[in-house]
Amino acid sequence: MNRNRFSLPNLGIGLGLRTVHYAHILEHAPAVDWFEILSENYMQTKGRPLHFLDRVAERYPIAMHGVSLSIGGTDPLDRAYLAELKALRDRTKALWVSDHLCWTGVAGKNTHDLLPLPYTEESLRNVVSRVKQVQDVLGAPLALENPSTYVEYAGNTMKEWDFLAALASEADCALLLDVNNVYVSAYNHGFEPAEYFAAIPFDRVVQLHVSGHTNHGTHIVDTHIGPVIDPVWELLGEAYRKTGSSILLEWDAEIPSFEETHADALRAKEFITTAEPK
Amino acid sequence: MKPPLGAPPPLRDVQVWTIGAITGVEADADSRAVERFVTAGPRLSAAERFDIYRSGYHARLLECLLDDYPVLAAVLDRDDDGQFAALCRAYVDRHPSASPNLNAFGRHMASFCREAKLAAFPGFAARSSFASDLAALEWALVEVLHAETAPPLDIAALQAMPPESWTSARFIRSDALRLLRFEYPVNAVFIANRIDEVVPDVPPPSPNAVAVYRRDMQLWRMDLTPAMLGVLEPLVDGKSLGEALETVEAECTDPEVLAQTGANLMVWFREWVQAGFFTRVVLG
Ligand SMILES: [Fe+2]
Repeated sequence: MNRNRFSLPNLGIGLGLRTVHYAHILEHAPAVDWFEILSENYMQTKGRPLHFLDRVAERYPIAMHGVSLSIGGTDPLDRAYLAELKALRDRTKALWVSDHLCWTGVAGKNTHDLLPLPYTEESLRNVVSRVKQVQDVLGAPLALENPSTYVEYAGNTMKEWDFLAALASEADCALLLDVNNVYVSAYNHGFEPAEYFAAIPFDRVVQLHVSGHTNHGTHIVDTHIGPVIDPVWELLGEAYRKTGSSILLEWDAEIPSFEETHADALRAKEFITTAEPK
Repeated sequence: MKPPLGAPPPLRDVQVWTIGAITGVEADADSRAVERFVTAGPRLSAAERFDIYRSGYHARLLECLLDDYPVLAAVLDRDDDGQFAALCRAYVDRHPSASPNLNAFGRHMASFCREAKLAAFPGFAARSSFASDLAALEWALVEVLHAETAPPLDIAALQAMPPESWTSARFIRSDALRLLRFEYPVNAVFIANRIDEVVPDVPPPSPNAVAVYRRDMQLWRMDLTPAMLGVLEPLVDGKSLGEALETVEAECTDPEVLAQTGANLMVWFREWVQAGFFTRVVLG
């Protein structure tokens, strides 16, 4: 069941495709609903990564998730990158393409980090215009994900959730709601996840992310390590109740066996069965 | 000074400052400058919060280089823990990423090793040629992993070739093949580390050559004797088998090598074809 305005399907409970699991997946064809791929892992390559990707894409529905679009950046959009992203989308038949509400570098220097945007009117205009350009090139729905952030700019004139809502509406794009990122940023900046949820246009949310994180006491880092904690699962249940969207577990470092990773993803069932959208 | 509300600094200026403060070689994001641009959080000051991005920058790229150069890291850190990280830090400052993709980020490591000066590790200078050789081997593995996949030359196609066409035939190399010459026996070091799980010391120099290639999606390394390299190198450069043998005869001064070539050529050639070094044959 899906209730988003883009009529994108609910693919079920998926996993981020990771190289350490390739052999297991190809040998055992496990019953996973779908996979999300990290787009850049299959770009700037003609070799082995594509060989494995093609085999996975033959069997499972795929969505693409990128980290290098730099949608909030002020350097011109990288046309070569976009062309390659589109080619990958055509190859995988990915149902949608996502990236983050962030920027990654400026003046030709790339940090490969998801840097927080200043939330200002100028910044909003910039992102809206770039999202429209990207959607034109891709010919596929673009979903932007709320990031985990560790600083806020002094010049901010709006809250992240208001910025995201205005962006989605003005650029007419989809959203990927990462409930762990909401939890992390809420902790780091001292707001309540409920404030965030109150502003999100849930009819634009086509996918939900959930993951582990690392709590240092003074701040939480979005490491995608370890099992998901219950408060984050509870946010997932709440978001699912409002969206009925595809769910995906991200696990990016200290990755356990495929079975263990999948078992953690399937814990989502405990939190969504009591929250089945009506 | 915090800009007045309603007049935030221009987006471009904020981004240029942020990148300078995160990536600057002397990133002296002193706390007052940071406070002009970012706010304090509930538990951390503005500078402490901003530091999460500054330390993350080098850590992320170090992790990428560690993926590409695991054996170099093991050998450099064997006696001097932190040497590989120091090398990477210097690398990141010298070759910051300008690409949206990290696949090629580590490509300068072999040349960088030869020029790198690591203030905290003066001993590195004595190992720089070895480090460069090892980096070249590990980078070849990365390149071959990403090289275009093409079906290898079928041995049956060779068997069907008329005998008189052999000398003029040209063999089109696979994109997933690299021939490398080394001053140090780095393939032995690689094997010791990856297969026997020991971290060898830096060996004495001993000139050698290695082919790095991919076959059935697996990466392989093949030691090449000087005689093998003498034939294989011109073949891979597009010379015909006849021309390659003429090159060997013209350039080789070692009668032992010439004798080996004459006796073993067809055995080697079959092995190279089976290893997928070539994708096609073009008859004279
Ligand atoms: Fe996420």
